Amino acid sequence: MMAGVAEDEEKWLAAGIAGLQQNAFYMHRAMDSNNLRDALKYSAQMLSELRTSKLSPHKYYELYMRAFDELRKVEIFFKEETQRGCSVVDLYELVQHAGNILPRLYLLCTVGSVYIKSKEAPAKDILKDLVEMCRGIQHPLRGLFLRSYLSQVSRDKLPDIGSEYEGDADTIMDAVEFVLQNFTEMNKLWVRMQHQGPAREKERREKERSELRDLVGKNLHVLSQIEGVDLDLYKETVLPRVLEQVVNCKDDIAQHYLMDCIIQVFPDEYHLQTLEILLDVFPQLQPSVDIKTVLSQLMERLSNYAALSAEALPEFLQVEAFSKLNNAIGKVIEAQADMPVFGAVTLYSSLLKFSLHVHPDRLDYADQVLGSCVKQLSGRGKIEDSKATKQIVALLSAPLEKYNNVVTALKLSNYPRVLEYLDNETNKVMASVVIQSVMKNNTRITTAEKVEALFELIKGLIKDLDGTAHDEVDEEDFKEEQNSVARLIQMLHNDDPEEMFKIISAVRKHILSGGSKRLPFTVPPLVFSSLKLVRQLQGQEENPFGDEAATTPKKIFQLLNQIIEALANIPVPDLALRLYLQCAEAANDCDLEPVAYEFFTQAYILYEEEISDSKAQITAIHLIIGTLQRMHVFGVENRDTLTHKATGYSAKLLKKPDQCRAVYACSHLFWVDDQDNMKDGERVLLCLKRALRIANAAQQMSNVTRGTTGSVTLFVEILNKYLYFFEKGNPQITVAAIQSLIEVITCEMQSDTSAADPTADAFFASTLRYIQFQKQKGGAAGEKYGPIKV
Amino acid sequence: MVLVLALGDLHIPHRAPDLPAKFKSMLVPGKIQHIICTGNLCIKEVHDYLKTLCPDLHIARGEYDEDSRYPETKTITIGQFKVGLCHGHQVIPWGDLDSLAMLQRQLDVDILVTGHTHQFTAYKHEGGVVINPGSATGAHSSITYDVNPSFILMDIDGLRVVVYVYELIDGEVKVDKIDFKKTTATTAN
Amino acid sequence: MNFLIGAFKPPCNVSITFADGRTRKQVSLKRDNGQTIMVPLFQSQESIMGEVVVEPFQGKKLEHTGVKIELLGQIELYFDKGNFYDFTSLVRELDVPGELYERKTYPFEFSTVEMPYESYNGINVRLRYILKVTISRNIVSDIVDSQDFVVRNYTPLPSINNSIKMEVGIEDCLHIEFEYGKSKVHLKDVIIGKIYFLLVRIKIKSMELEIRRRESTGSGPNTYVETETLAKYELMDGAPVRGESIPVRLFLSPYELTPTYRNINNKFSVKYYLNLVLVDEEDRRYFKQQEITVYRLLETP
Repeated sequence: MMAGVAEDEEKWLAAGIAGLQQNAFYMHRAMDSNNLRDALKYSAQMLSELRTSKLSPHKYYELYMRAFDELRKVEIFFKEETQRGCSVVDLYELVQHAGNILPRLYLLCTVGSVYIKSKEAPAKDILKDLVEMCRGIQHPLRGLFLRSYLSQVSRDKLPDIGSEYEGDADTIMDAVEFVLQNFTEMNKLWVRMQHQGPAREKERREKERSELRDLVGKNLHVLSQIEGVDLDLYKETVLPRVLEQVVNCKDDIAQHYLMDCIIQVFPDEYHLQTLEILLDVFPQLQPSVDIKTVLSQLMERLSNYAALSAEALPEFLQVEAFSKLNNAIGKVIEAQADMPVFGAVTLYSSLLKFSLHVHPDRLDYADQVLGSCVKQLSGRGKIEDSKATKQIVALLSAPLEKYNNVVTALKLSNYPRVLEYLDNETNKVMASVVIQSVMKNNTRITTAEKVEALFELIKGLIKDLDGTAHDEVDEEDFKEEQNSVARLIQMLHNDDPEEMFKIISAVRKHILSGGSKRLPFTVPPLVFSSLKLVRQLQGQEENPFGDEAATTPKKIFQLLNQIIEALANIPVPDLALRLYLQCAEAANDCDLEPVAYEFFTQAYILYEEEISDSKAQITAIHLIIGTLQRMHVFGVENRDTLTHKATGYSAKLLKKPDQCRAVYACSHLFWVDDQDNMKDGERVLLCLKRALRIANAAQQMSNVTRGTTGSVTLFVEILNKYLYFFEKGNPQITVAAIQSLIEVITCEMQSDTSAADPTADAFFASTLRYIQFQKQKGGAAGEKYGPIKV
Repeated sequence: MVLVLALGDLHIPHRAPDLPAKFKSMLVPGKIQHIICTGNLCIKEVHDYLKTLCPDLHIARGEYDEDSRYPETKTITIGQFKVGLCHGHQVIPWGDLDSLAMLQRQLDVDILVTGHTHQFTAYKHEGGVVINPGSATGAHSSITYDVNPSFILMDIDGLRVVVYVYELIDGEVKVDKIDFKKTTATTAN
Repeated sequence: MNFLIGAFKPPCNVSITFADGRTRKQVSLKRDNGQTIMVPLFQSQESIMGEVVVEPFQGKKLEHTGVKIELLGQIELYFDKGNFYDFTSLVRELDVPGELYERKTYPFEFSTVEMPYESYNGINVRLRYILKVTISRNIVSDIVDSQDFVVRNYTPLPSINNSIKMEVGIEDCLHIEFEYGKSKVHLKDVIIGKIYFLLVRIKIKSMELEIRRRESTGSGPNTYVETETLAKYELMDGAPVRGESIPVRLFLSPYELTPTYRNINNKFSVKYYLNLVLVDEEDRRYFKQQEITVYRLLETP
């Protein structure tokens, strides 16, 4: 059915165009022969085509444009007629003899244009007559186009200041009055369209109206172009009159469009100076008007204005733009009782952006906006509308984006209060935004107080909020979130140890509330952060007369012990063990033997009680031996206990090769190169021999189970250890021992039962090559290696 | 000519938030043919990031890596060179050159790349090189306290390798160069 | 008839000329045969002077019992064909009985003639002025010749000219108030006015203003009334809403109006009305008629 209507419309348009063209043809002929009477007759007939009611605005426009082109020719003809002696006054009367009003008025406007140009009468009188006569067209569509034509032909003939049509005093008022009147009438016609025709066609009508809106808005554009409309005139006349029409028309489409139009076409400077007048209108608009969009637009424009011209800033202060906007928003929300949360938040979000751009130094403004927003949100509970949520995120992100520094946002006391209204999921999103801001801008958070405020903002990531079901969370997302928290912890730093200790304590308090799922992510960064502080303090002499409360490594270690314990209790033994060992090493460097011992003890307990996976055991053992090897703080007794245990663990590993390697690694516990009191050659040898025994046992086991002896790799490795200690001057390692080991390996490799192992062969070959190299090197090394035969 | 990026011990996010921005801007995709990483990334995000720089990525396992599938040691052949890779916490005493030389003999490689100490080092000895690229993030370590972020680029061309060391000192990137020529006699597989 | 006339051709030529014939303004006049001729224009109280020339045909003798010229003002009602009511009749004897052998010129003069009524050519009635020359003869019929002229009388600007203002409507349906600037208009006048819509509950499509002429003739049961619409002038297109005011500006010059004639010699009247018509979407017409007085304004050069 719709297609049918469209087809019919095409037909009607075609018929209209045909009629128009035919009459235009006769009109041209009459004009060519200077026949005024016929020219008038045919031009009126031509224009009669515009009397149709059958076309939609879109098609009517097409017809209008053709008529418009013809009317340009008519105007030229009229002009020529006056040059031929016909008085323009007579012409002005003559066209009014036409019986049909629409053609009559089009012709009248056309002659009017010539009349004004002739300057035989003041432009203002002619314009006034034209705009008044156009009242005869009460049909919305036809009236809008006719008045649009009037507006078009009069644009360059307004008695504007500096224009050639400028008249006596107050001439500018005439120009303004004319445009205002045309605007008012056009708007009335436009609004009237809404109320004509059946209710079921409301949607179509609204569409048609939106197609026509620019005809109305054009008048505002013309007003803005009038030279003589200065701020005073705008403030005293233009704006109040336009707004009066906007309010009185009580039509939501018109109100939205026109408010938007006013904001777009007039200079920002004017808006600023008339802010009060403009803002007063908003609460008076229809409740269905999308005020937030319009008002946001205004604020955005003003922000940009402030950004572009620094000299405008005093104006903003002078007119108290911020407080006016703030008040206006409050009133609008009050007036529009049905406004959804989304709308209110959008408004505050825009106001906040305005405040941030225009008054970046006034954090109190920003806080005030957030406060107002909280007031609006209070009593509504958590926001469930996703659009509103999005706006709140935008609202809260704005200060971060503006200042590029989360520290500034931390000063906003109402910031966390707004967060309260977000659902848990969005709270997390917001927390991520905060963290990203910190990371992106490389912001250092330097006081415990700020840390507290920061954690308030990101608490959605720090602990379980009420009502979050754990299983809802995607594992990957969770990891990513927690890793971002871990990163954030790196940014909390102060070079002053006292403050840094406070920061660490604050962080500890928060992360310990995070639960077992979060601790593995959050504990390590805090531990390392604390260890850094320990490093910073360790060089300083402890002052016995210092402040009781002063930060000392000891205090930090106490803290660390608790933190890691929380991790161990989950249990996450592997990670806890590593951290204990790190602490032990730090305590070693601080010469705190008992502390170091305690950490080692904790690590050993974990090893014994919690680490059962053989692969994990191997890594753990390497770390234990590696760390212990570096400890120098222990007295003989403690050291013996710890090394004894470590060797014991080594020998109890599941696989023989792993046992063997761990045991020969233990040899280093008895021989520390740069410590003269740590060179126990005998125990080194004992270890190596023990390793050899295990290697042998491995060989035999392999023989029994697989029928071949295993690889000789372990022997070659031990050989290398022999060479290591030989070089280091361990008197227990003799040339003979080395020599026999080489022979054993050579023998093993030639045995029929031995499995081919190219890697081992290469290893052995390169070891022999190394010996060769050392022999040839000469000097002390060469002398030492001399007796070894290969 | 082949460019190899070697780096490790990033310890993200335990000890550092991210790679230094200056490094990130230098490391652009498409320039590097291989990445060898000594481990302790520690998280997948970092792995994914490295993968964007170059898909040919070799990683040895550090003790803090969340991905436990990385091998303890790895050997890669690049042109005429055999390169060994190991994090280094397994080699005791940590960072000890003689012990690392033993590992090099065991892996039978021309170049051994290890980490763990967070200290950039490069030693030439009897026809081989032992390199530690340091910590790319300047992560704190109990072995080295004040760590400057560093990584290395190896330009391998025939029998010659030029090692460029990039170190971030007080916000400025300093570049150092070490030349190494391989005598044909050694490991020719 | 022509044949008969040819057969009994009058023995002379008679012509009537006006003394100021060359300079006097001429206006067109429609004759009975439909032809339009130009005739001189007079107004009341003017003197009408001229000459009558009688010229017998070559060698013919014209015997007559006297020559006279009459000035007649006649009203002719078409439904009473052949009856002329002379409201004015003046006679001048030009010659005593005698014989004419050659051309003879008789000057005549009617001084300050009272001609209260204007010439008028209506539907049912005609008011005309003629000069009629009669050469009376015995036995054979008289020789008669006549000459039309037109009379128009001018009125100065009326000292009182009230506007027409009126509120009309249909209860709860349509209320309008209209206002025309004056009740008396001259022939080249412009009607200026405004229509206010006080209440609109019907869907109006358009509004127009008509000028109607009402000619009534006769009296009592023999009264004949003819109404003509001389102008249809669209004032408004579309449906106005309450509070709207629509301007009226109608130029009268394009229309062939006469002044209002009231009860001319008890024979006829011609009156003019403005008729405001509103048309609704169902093409129903709502109208209100108001009389206006049309007068001929004394044109001041």
